[in-house]
Amino acid sequence: MQALQQLFKRIIQRVNINLRELDYDVDPYTKDLIPLDQMTKFYAFYGITPHHSLNFQFRHSNLAGSYFLGKCRTTNSILYKSDIRGDELKKKGDVYRCGKWEIPIQQDEGIDIKDSLLIKTLVHNYSHDPETPERFFISNTAAVHYANIHGSPTDGSFLGPFATVDLTTMNDCVIGSFSYVQAGEVNHLYVDPGTVWVRSPDNFNFLYRYPQEKLRRYIDFSAGSLPQGLLIDFVNDRKEAFQRIFDVVNIEPSVTVPGSASLDRYAVVKPKTQINENVLVSQRAYLQNAWLGKGANAQENCYIINSRLQGNNVTAHGAKIIEADLGKNVFVGFNSFLRGRPNGRLTIGKDCVIMPHTIIDIQEPLTIPDGHLVWGLVNDAADLEANSIALKTMASVSDHITRGSMHFEGHGGKFVTAFKERIHHILEANGAFYDGTQGEGHAQRNQNISFNTIQPYPEGDQQGLYPTILIKP
Amino acid sequence: MENYRVKDLMVPLSEYATVDKGATLFEAILALERAQEEFDHTKYRHRGVLILDKNKRVIGKLGQLDVLRALQPRGRQINQIDEIEKYGFSPGYIHSLHTQRRPGSLALVNLCREAATTKVEELMQTLEEGEHVDETSPIELAIHQLVFGHHLALLVTRGKEITGILRLTDVFAACFHTMKECEQTHDKG
Repeated sequence: MQALQQLFKRIIQRVNINLRELDYDVDPYTKDLIPLDQMTKFYAFYGITPHHSLNFQFRHSNLAGSYFLGKCRTTNSILYKSDIRGDELKKKGDVYRCGKWEIPIQQDEGIDIKDSLLIKTLVHNYSHDPETPERFFISNTAAVHYANIHGSPTDGSFLGPFATVDLTTMNDCVIGSFSYVQAGEVNHLYVDPGTVWVRSPDNFNFLYRYPQEKLRRYIDFSAGSLPQGLLIDFVNDRKEAFQRIFDVVNIEPSVTVPGSASLDRYAVVKPKTQINENVLVSQRAYLQNAWLGKGANAQENCYIINSRLQGNNVTAHGAKIIEADLGKNVFVGFNSFLRGRPNGRLTIGKDCVIMPHTIIDIQEPLTIPDGHLVWGLVNDAADLEANSIALKTMASVSDHITRGSMHFEGHGGKFVTAFKERIHHILEANGAFYDGTQGEGHAQRNQNISFNTIQPYPEGDQQGLYPTILIKP
Repeated sequence: MENYRVKDLMVPLSEYATVDKGATLFEAILALERAQEEFDHTKYRHRGVLILDKNKRVIGKLGQLDVLRALQPRGRQINQIDEIEKYGFSPGYIHSLHTQRRPGSLALVNLCREAATTKVEELMQTLEEGEHVDETSPIELAIHQLVFGHHLALLVTRGKEITGILRLTDVFAACFHTMKECEQTHDKG
């Protein structure tokens, strides 16, 4: 256990050295977050498919309960119940287009995690940094519960609970709880909790900041304490269901899955759930009385409960949908929390975009009209009025618009187009448009994955550490 | 030029504008005006005021930028607007937010009235390591400090005592003068 403790201390020191300019000490935030003495109990596992690279290198790391797919490497790191999903990495022979550059990919891209602590964190997509097209690195970084590192090479940074960094290269930054950053590149920046920031330099800049006192009801993370709040309670209340599927070696799906759809064996499926064609359900997703129309998806850490999704719906990583009815082509961004009530359902019209990290938590029925953009905290109709705009109106913004705590500057048309193109790309990558011969994506390719498990030293000096493991075809 | 020492170009402390800690911004500006009136009018104007403690030791300085900074709107709501600047919004957008939140109060006359009573110690810059130079030092050393420290002036010392101010503008004038002399000598040769 001593080796594991030393590794933990070493990582924290690495992160703190990088964050010294911000005078930020991650030690009190990470000290008691994971039970080091139990880290020997959880196995790690990796997927094998003919569609993805098989190239794993694990050195001097603890990987308790974590999942790996594609080309991944960990060195001097602790990964606790994290998902390292390398099924969208670039492949040798691809051409990566970035601005005016067309960059030939010389070797398969790999996720390279070094000197880092990831707790229940999702790593996905591919490096969007043209300077490192074949290496999606995460180094000297700590990320805690339900953080997402999505297509974002990251060095020397800290991500709080439910924080997301998306398509952004990040150096020496602190991303507060429940903050979402998509800004291309950020350096030496402290981002307050509950900040939603989407920036494309010279094109547009969107910013929303949650009122801190209201956000704390949903997520509260302070030094010396575990993350608390409604979001954490919600997830913890459903923890046991996952325990069961991780304890069982072979598990049969409890619902009928069409041939063009994919249901991960590490997803929880409760009764009255229906999965239609081209649906993708990823590991650690939770479905209960969920109706998923053709081409809908539920990504990692998503919860869909007592809800109906009409089809081609993107439910991005960590999003939660409860007591809601969603029209076709509704996009629900990362970590959003949409909660209607049995007698106060939430209805979202077709073609709506729910911004990443949006909270809609209502007591009375609420309907969002077709084609609207929604952001921030919505508890009733008045909040919806303040925190939404028709996408058509947004597209006509040519200079700036301010609504409550939302600030937008730039070309609204480019902002709307960027979102629509991204949603289309996600649906395409997920195989939502598969017609039986063309348009194959994750829903079709991830159907037959074999899972192997690996274990750490059970005792002795190296207790808790996994031996050096190299896995190749 | 090579013979210049710092003390040859400095403005003696006695000729510089000073106020005691506790003075208001308006009193500092009056002190600056007085010093300018008594100063050699053929030279560049003074651009700053030094702040002295009760023992008449210099503890800070107040420059033109500090005065303009004092005119920036303040308050919790305003701070919240300023905070978003780090997220890449343009100065024009930030100003439009200020105008929306506090219409009228952004008129220069109102900003000046509000700032005039601010204590100088709330606005002054404290002195940094590289801002001092000994009065006997060669001017080349002072030039190096001005260039690499991006300073507009240096405090000139004799032991622990501050004896004057070496201003960028006076050093520049001396350099310009030397350059002209060099060229004229070269032409004659």
